[in-house]
Order: sequence, then structure tokens, then C-alpha cells
Amino acid sequence: MNALEKLFIRIVQRVNINLRELEFDAKPYVWDLIPKEQMKKFYAFYGISPDHPLNLQFKNSGLAGSYFLGQCRVTNSLLYKTDVRGDELKKKGDRFQYNNLTIPVSKDEEIVIEDSAFVKTLIHNYSHDPETLEKFFIKDTISTHYANIHGSPSDGCFLGPFSTVDLTTMRDCVIGTFSYIQAGEISHLNIDPGTVWVRSPGSFNFLYRYPIDQLNTYIYFKAGIQPQGKFIDFVEDRKEAFQRIFDLVNIDPVPVPDSSSLDRYAVIKPKTEIGENVLISQRAYLQNSTLGKGANAQENCFIINSKLEGNNVTAHGAKIIESDLGKNVFVGFNSFLRGRPECRLKIGRESIIMPHTIIDISKPLTIPAGQLVWGLITDEKDLETNSISINSMSKIDNRLTKGNMFFEGSGKSFVSAFQDRIQHILEANGAFFNCTKKKGHQKGQQKELQKGHAQKNQNMSINTIQPYPRGKLEGLYPTISIKP
Amino acid sequence: MVPISEYATVPEGATLIEAYLALEKAQEEYDRSKYRHRAILVLDKNNRVIGKVGQLDVLRALETKNEKFETFEDLNKFQFSAPFIMSLREQCLMQDEPLTDICKKGAHIKVEDLMRAPTEGEYVEEKTSLNTAIHQLVRGSHMALLVTRNNDIVGILRLTDVFAAIFHTMKECGIDNK
Repeated sequence: MNALEKLFIRIVQRVNINLRELEFDAKPYVWDLIPKEQMKKFYAFYGISPDHPLNLQFKNSGLAGSYFLGQCRVTNSLLYKTDVRGDELKKKGDRFQYNNLTIPVSKDEEIVIEDSAFVKTLIHNYSHDPETLEKFFIKDTISTHYANIHGSPSDGCFLGPFSTVDLTTMRDCVIGTFSYIQAGEISHLNIDPGTVWVRSPGSFNFLYRYPIDQLNTYIYFKAGIQPQGKFIDFVEDRKEAFQRIFDLVNIDPVPVPDSSSLDRYAVIKPKTEIGENVLISQRAYLQNSTLGKGANAQENCFIINSKLEGNNVTAHGAKIIESDLGKNVFVGFNSFLRGRPECRLKIGRESIIMPHTIIDISKPLTIPAGQLVWGLITDEKDLETNSISINSMSKIDNRLTKGNMFFEGSGKSFVSAFQDRIQHILEANGAFFNCTKKKGHQKGQQKELQKGHAQKNQNMSINTIQPYPRGKLEGLYPTISIKP
Repeated sequence: MVPISEYATVPEGATLIEAYLALEKAQEEYDRSKYRHRAILVLDKNNRVIGKVGQLDVLRALETKNEKFETFEDLNKFQFSAPFIMSLREQCLMQDEPLTDICKKGAHIKVEDLMRAPTEGEYVEEKTSLNTAIHQLVRGSHMALLVTRNNDIVGILRLTDVFAAIFHTMKECGIDNK
């Protein structure tokens, strides 16, 4: 047994100890998920730019195919094709607002990964835990294919494929396949696959649960097998295009407007048009599509044969196929929107497609402007059950049930939370750059807008690092500290 | 303790309505206390107790098996409020069949389908002290204990009788007004 395998066993043991109360054994789920052969072949890479802090430290870890940006410390961990984006971390002197408290940040925040294993996972944003403002910790945690750990410190957790934990501190939890959790703080929970839970304590609580039989056709995962289903087939069918860009040192640059950025590790297929202030992140895949001004395609997004009119957020892992999206349409994490060439999906402006929504149609479908959409939708009838106009939702002041969805609390707060966040994402991504003065979305005040990722990422260089190819430390990277 | 001969019992195979009639009869004959029997013991062909049917068991058996109820069961895990969950149940119940129909169907349920086998903590030896019996009642939240003599059940020690005995002792000690 080499050092890499010993490390993997150690990580699994630590996770299992944390999850003993839930009687969860991670080993049969993950033992074959990390390809040990590729761990010693693939390089890791990191970005440097004048607009991002740089403080990376790696110790006793495997990092194959993974990407790092900003401030991050990785110890005793295995990362496979994982993106750790530390470009939204708090800085010394920032002030963090938590309820009625304004808490000063005493030093630059860093992402601290210990005793964890990730497969094709995205780690991004900053710690929203007021108890650990300067440390976005992830320890004793395993996550599987296309999971998102977004602004969510984690201790002793397991995340199934295509799951997302967003702005939530989690301890000793199992997050089921394709579940989305945004609940502030959770512990000792075993979340079933296909659970979409958005809660703000004292304000609102939203829960939708997928019909499991139908979800299984999209993504299915159990101990001893690789994840399978339409999501995996879809990604695998396009895998080759990514292999090419990772294998080549120099690739022909695709021209984009000066105010936009296209990551060197994104795939751009012909007839794609990229407008101003557009952000295309690494591992995004664009084909025969138009992205209007201020749109973005974040990590692991696929946009194919589609048109996005502008200021569209396509959050991490979302897929948009044969669709036409009006301005300001938001598509949440890992959503899967699939029209067909002969029956396109049309989404009216300012609609919110909630995280982990599946729209998969065989007849044309039009979603009206200003609609809130969730869950599984295959036709008009599903749309009627799994959506509501944002205006109507804002008027809910107690409770609402529709199909498999339960809502309790203030609809107005729920809608505002989404809208405010979408506005923040657009700002952070640089959608409003060049609009030096623009009315703020709140209180009508004038607000000066800063450069966002679309502009800051233009001046980025990529460096690579390599693992030991053979010997006792085969597959592990040497201890490395990277600073300006 | 109520001797088992004075308690409501039915043989294995009896229906719920038969069990209720046995309870009614036992209550009429057992008039030493104003407290009513609350359970029926189910006996096998050798007259050994194999189960117990309490009031809650009956109600549980009659409760509508609504599939939607299952989707509400764990809503508290997701921090939904009790009134919210209750309102969902009420909505479902409004669509259920009338109570008279439910009772009509329930009358023919076999007692084996709703009885509970007594657990270890529900047995108490005849010579056990009252203090120990009280401890067992409290720890197990039991409504009654089965009193045994040489592994045979000879009676039932009801919570209500123990409760009455305690207060009787309090009164005798004259501590009720101090």
C-alpha cells in the first residue's frame, strides 16, 4: 500500500468516525471513485494575477487536475479535478454583518482543507459562519462528482454527486445525491437524495423533494458503483473536448470583448458569441450559443444551442440546452434545462430558476416572465405545479404547499433573498462594469460599481505543479508554499 | 393489583369489537374502583398472555393510512413549525371517509393485528416492592405492569391504582396540608 492509499484510508476513517451516529460508512461509496492511476499523472494548477491574493500551501496531499486561486491551505487531503476558488474571501478590515451584529474581520480569510477528499468538486465563496470569519474550514469531509461546497464550512460530512451546500455550516451530515441545502447551520442530518431545502431561521422555510424514481433516471448513486444517469452521460459525452484543452500547453485564444474574460480551461465550440462583461469560468462548455452583456457561465456549466439575452447568472454546474433566456434570468446551481431542437424552452425575463431544478421537455415550453420555478418539470402541467409568479410568492405571508413543495414564512423575504443575491452575483462577476454610476437596486441610492471577476480574471497567468510520479510518495505532491 | 381473572381478556383470533365487549364486561364486573380498565390482554390457547391492546393501539389501527402523511412525518427535521405540520394533516383528514365508516371497518380487525407483545420492562414479580414497580412505570412510561408469579401472569398493576395508593398514603401520613 503506497502513501496515497494510506492517506485515503485515513480520510475515510475520519469521516466515518464523524458519521457513526448516522451509521454511514463512506468507504464502499468512494473507494473506487478516486482513480489512483490518474492521481500520479495529472498536474494541478493555480492562477496568479495582480488582482488576487496569493497564499497557497500544500502538504501531504494529492491534487491531480485541481485548480487553486487565492488563499488556500491543503493538508492530508486528496483532491481530484477539484476547483478551489478563493477569489471571494474576506479581507482584513472587512466588516461582516450577522443579524444585528457587525463583526470586524481581523485577518485575510483563507480556505483550510484538512483530512478531506473531493472528486470534481467546486469550493468557492467565503465562510458565512460568524464564529469562523477568517477561516473557511473543510475537514474530515468527502465530496463526490460535481458537488458544490459554496460558502459552507464543513466538518465530518459526506456529499453525494451533484449535491450543493450553500452558505451553510455543516457538521456530521450526509448530503444526498442532487440535494441542495441552504439552511444556515445543520448538524447530524442525513439528507435524502433530491432534497431542495432553503431556510432562513425566523424568516422562511422552503422544501421540495424530488420523486426519487424519476430523479434516479437523471442521477443515481449507491455504494460500490460509479454515479450514473442522464447527468453523467451528458457530461461524459463532452469529456473529450476538455481533455484537449488540459493536454495542450498553448491553445489558440478565442477573442472576447475587453470587458469580458474567458478562462483558458473553458471549452468554446464554434458559433458562440460572447458579449461585454461576460465571465466564462474554467470547465465551462459553450457551444453555438450567445451570451449577452453581463451574462456568466460559472464552473462546470454547459450552454449549448442557447441564447442568453444578458445579465444572466448560470450558477456552478448549471446546464442550458436548446433554450432562450430573457434578460436577468437566474439559473441556480446544478440545474438542468433541456429543450430540444424542435421544441425549445423559453424563459421570460427576470425569472428565477431555483437551484437544482430539472426542466426536460419534449414539447415546446414557455415560462412567463417573473416566474419562480423549482423541481422537476417535463410539461405544462408540471410547470403549473412547480412554479409561481414572483409577484404572487411575495404575497405569501404564512404558508403554501404545491405538489411536493412546502413553504412556511414570508414569501416576500424569500423572494428578496434571491433577488438580492442575484444582484450581488452579477456585481461580483462584473456584469455592471463600465456603468460607473448606476442606481443601486436598494433604496435608490447612487452606487459606484467595481470591477468583477470578468475584468479581474483577464490578467491571470496559470502555473502548474506536479506530483511524485513514482516511489513511496507516488501521486502525492511535495510540500509547497506559494506566495508573492 | 387486579387479578388476571378479573381483567379483560380475549383469545387469539378475536376481533376488535369482541375485545371491546370483553373490556366492557370486565369493567361491569370489576366495580371496586371508579377507575376503568384501559387495555385488553390477548391470550393464546394455553391461556398465556401473548399481547396487549391498549386504547392508543386501537386508535392507531383506526387512524387513516394516508400516504401523504408519510411526507409530513419528517418535516420537523427540516424545522417546519408544529402548527404548519398540523395544518397539513388537517387538510388531508378533511378528505378522509366519515368516522362511522372507519369504525365499521375497524370492528372486524383481528386483535393480533394491533396488539403489542409486552416488553421486558412491563413484567414485575409479585413480590417486588412498590418502589421498584413505580420506577418501572416511570422509566418505561407504562400504563400498567404485568404481575408474574413463577413466570405465570397473575395480575395487572395499573398506573391508576399505584397513583391512588400513593395519594392514599400521603393522606394517611397527614402531609397533604403541610
